[in-house]
Amino acid sequence: MSIRSVPFLTIAALLLAALVAPQAIAADLTDVGFVDQAELASIPVFTNANRALAAYKSQLDGQYNAALRHAGSDADRQRISLQFQQQFSDKQREIVGPLFQRAQLAIAQVSAAHNLSVVVDKRIVIYGGQDITKDVETLFLGPQSIQPPAASPPPSEIGYVDQTVLDNLPKVKTANDEMNQFATTQRTLFAPRVAGAKTQADRQQIYQEFNKTVNDKQDQLLKPLVDETKHATSDVAAKKKLLLVLDRADVIYGGTDITADVQNELSK
Amino acid sequence: MTLTIASATVGLLGGCVDVHSSSIRGTGYVRIGDVIKHHPMYAQLSQLDDGIAAIDLAAAAPRVPLSAAQIARETGQLNRELRDAQLRANKILAQKQQDYSTRERQAISAALAAAGVNGNGQLDAAQMSNTSAQQAQQAAAAANQDFMAYQQSVVAQDNAASTAIARQLQTQEAEKMRAKAEQLQQNETDLSLRLTQDDATQRLAIKTRLSNLALDDATRKQLVSQLAALNSKETAAIDAQRRADAATLSAYRAQLDSQTGAAVRAQVGAIAGQTQAKITERRNEVGAQLRTLGPPALPTTLPPGVRDKIAAIHRQFTGQFQAEAQKTIGDYTATKNDLDRQFAALHGADVGATGAAAKELAALQKRRDALYKEIVDQIMREATRIAKDRGFSIVFENIAQAEGGYDLTNDLIKDVESQHE
Repeated sequence: MSIRSVPFLTIAALLLAALVAPQAIAADLTDVGFVDQAELASIPVFTNANRALAAYKSQLDGQYNAALRHAGSDADRQRISLQFQQQFSDKQREIVGPLFQRAQLAIAQVSAAHNLSVVVDKRIVIYGGQDITKDVETLFLGPQSIQPPAASPPPSEIGYVDQTVLDNLPKVKTANDEMNQFATTQRTLFAPRVAGAKTQADRQQIYQEFNKTVNDKQDQLLKPLVDETKHATSDVAAKKKLLLVLDRADVIYGGTDITADVQNELSK
Repeated sequence: MTLTIASATVGLLGGCVDVHSSSIRGTGYVRIGDVIKHHPMYAQLSQLDDGIAAIDLAAAAPRVPLSAAQIARETGQLNRELRDAQLRANKILAQKQQDYSTRERQAISAALAAAGVNGNGQLDAAQMSNTSAQQAQQAAAAANQDFMAYQQSVVAQDNAASTAIARQLQTQEAEKMRAKAEQLQQNETDLSLRLTQDDATQRLAIKTRLSNLALDDATRKQLVSQLAALNSKETAAIDAQRRADAATLSAYRAQLDSQTGAAVRAQVGAIAGQTQAKITERRNEVGAQLRTLGPPALPTTLPPGVRDKIAAIHRQFTGQFQAEAQKTIGDYTATKNDLDRQFAALHGADVGATGAAAKELAALQKRRDALYKEIVDQIMREATRIAKDRGFSIVFENIAQAEGGYDLTNDLIKDVESQHE
């Protein structure tokens, strides 16, 4: 070994160590579970409940239409509509509510047993993760009552935002409403042209023109808000040291809710 | 500089990114939407999407309002199509019932022969099974026929009621329009009269002066010009009034069309809701009746094992028949739903594509769904393979935001593209 080669090797070793060391101590994310909600929904008790709910809805629809006949004004119609919606929601809570609650408890119990920090829907997992569907199903169908786990789920590096909450922020809602209004107007203008097109090619061309008009407006109205939301989410995620942020709709249990923080960032 | 060393070192370590680093931690994600756009079959998918959207858009075009006679004629045609669809469904169901009944009897005879039940025992069992199956079949056929007849009569009654209401409301609209037009016409006449009266003195003075033969040419010309100006002023005022009235009438027609359309839709919607409720109620009753039809009664002398076997055969054939019947009923329901939508469209409801357009839409949608599934399945297979090869612990799709993890989208795009080069 020459004198010159010692420092070179030392530097290389140190560099290698520096690069390898953090990787060696960083553990893979293994506390993520998933549930196949579609499979759970096919359990007979759920399908029966849904069938009962559908039968109730069919009956309610008849009553609703009959009630509408006697409505004298738009206000009456709105009141009737709200009243029937409420009736349906009540029935839904009555029929599906207890089942849904039991399923939630089963998911929480199984997650605690597997030490999972977050459980997501199977449809967003392409590979890996812990499939707890069968365990949840077994516990759900068991005769015993299910108690909530003693502790809440451990802190998760997977966060989530509730997009429906963000969509209701005044500036987002205004932009969405304006966009919907614009799209409706454009549909009214383009529809007769498409309907009157002589050939398939003409129809496609007019549709593409319509599409471009709507997309351009979307870029103008909504894209800045989408970008702003992305930045806000990214800032919050970085502060909270989250690895990934998911949509609330895909998260079934656990995870770190950053909706309020993102909302605050956007309101600044 | 640091990046170069780091890249070189990473390259030295394995030729790719270390998925177990602190910023990745075995976690990957794929933006599926972006990968789909690079798939070789994306152009086809996009074309199908555009085709579907174009039909949807065309269906949103306002329909030309129909007269009551046209509505009645088209309603009659729709009712005929509905009856044809019912007859077709009934015929198919009856044929299937017959086929399954025959096959069930044959299977029972074979089971009895295999179990060594011969002679009178087999004859009794087969006959009882046969009689029971025939009774069940007759009961089911009668219930089905009764239901179809009921449905037909309810739909016909309610269609007639809807058409009558539409006709009545359209007549009311026509009367209101006529009254408005007459009122505006009267206003124009009044204006014309008022203008004539207003200018009468001036006009008379001019005409009197013009009748003076000694008038010089310049003065005569001036008076003629004044008279022409008066005429022109009156004509302009009347024309302006006419234009305003035409606009008023047009706006009034639009308002009435909209009000009548809404009223017709509300009434027809209410009637359709009642129709549906009546049909659903009767269907539930018939369903309950049919469910009470049990398995065939068998001679008590048969050994329990053979009885169980026959019961299993009955369950198997009943299940198969129900599955096939469900498909036939599903086809009929799809046809009925489309006819219902065409009926609603006749009365001014915005129901989207109907008839031939609806069929084209359904065909395109089916092709689109199959192609989309094929594309996504392939992407998922590739994503899974890459994730496994590189040692990822978990890979997500379509996340909201990433601060860490590894974005597999570009690797997947290259992979998908390279497979079709």
